Amino acid sequence: MPNNILRGACIVVGEPTSGKSAVTQVFHSDGSHFPKSYLMTVGVELCTKTVNVPETNDAVELFIYDSAGKELFYDHVQKHWDHPSMVMVVYDVTSETSFNSCAKWLERVRSHNHDVSIPGVLVANKIDLDQRRVISPKSGKEFAESNGLEYFECSAKEMQNVDQPFHYLAKQYYRLYQEKIEYFKSLA
Amino acid sequence: MFDLALLSAGACIAEVTSSDVNYPPENIIDGTNETFWTTTGLYPQHFIISFTSPVLIQTVEIKCVNVKGLLVDRSVQNVPEDFERIQKRVLDHVEGQQQTEEFQLADDTTAQHLKFTITSGHDHFAAVYRVHVNGRAVHQSM
Repeated sequence: MPNNILRGACIVVGEPTSGKSAVTQVFHSDGSHFPKSYLMTVGVELCTKTVNVPETNDAVELFIYDSAGKELFYDHVQKHWDHPSMVMVVYDVTSETSFNSCAKWLERVRSHNHDVSIPGVLVANKIDLDQRRVISPKSGKEFAESNGLEYFECSAKEMQNVDQPFHYLAKQYYRLYQEKIEYFKSLA
Repeated sequence: MFDLALLSAGACIAEVTSSDVNYPPENIIDGTNETFWTTTGLYPQHFIISFTSPVLIQTVEIKCVNVKGLLVDRSVQNVPEDFERIQKRVLDHVEGQQQTEEFQLADDTTAQHLKFTITSGHDHFAAVYRVHVNGRAVHQSM
């Protein structure tokens, strides 16, 4: 059992069919479940998973809000984003449209928690479709860098590199917590 | 008039929604502003202070950081349940110092338990350093 458990809401966003649910489910099931047939997410699917913070006895329990990408559901979806703690923007490397709308999705999540810094990652999904890839790692990295995100590439289908972005977010969130503790101490 | 929210006066924390072993909720009622309890992420968060016997309360003061929405409820039962709302506030963010919020309560406000709920914060994490509850024990006729 970990000593302390932090809890945070991790909002997963991006265009429809970029693979948000696949990434979430592969991570959540420890790589035992990849949804083979497409099922459109309606509203928000919530799941939780606890991640240990390396070199500590603490853990972060992630409340993962896998949010529908369809514009139709946006009004409903954003009601679940009360206090976003972390954000994951997913795009499909074979789709220009999905890459181009990352800025829109990021801004939407950040606008729900303007005063606070929210750790974020940019996830380039479907890298197994090498032949059809249209977004280069360079474009991805540049976008990430200019928007304060950490860049990751993964393939949910091949269960490759899916855990890393979640672990990174948990670690960053934990770091923010430690900074806050120091701040609280300084005000005592 | 005494401060009733003190471990040394027999008060205790009956319930809390999150805690870091290094910054436990008992720090709220240990009599100093030097120590604090911290939330560990997400809102709402709450803690309940229980007194040894029913008390008559005049004022309540809370010293905290990053708290935005705050609710105060009281219970007059032996066990901490059937809470009713006595205060609702929105606190401003103050950079670099503790927030101090004082509540004047209606005459004859009695309580066996007080519940403080942080419904939202100015940051991912909030801290509470101290709660003062000024009042006196209710003398009950047997």
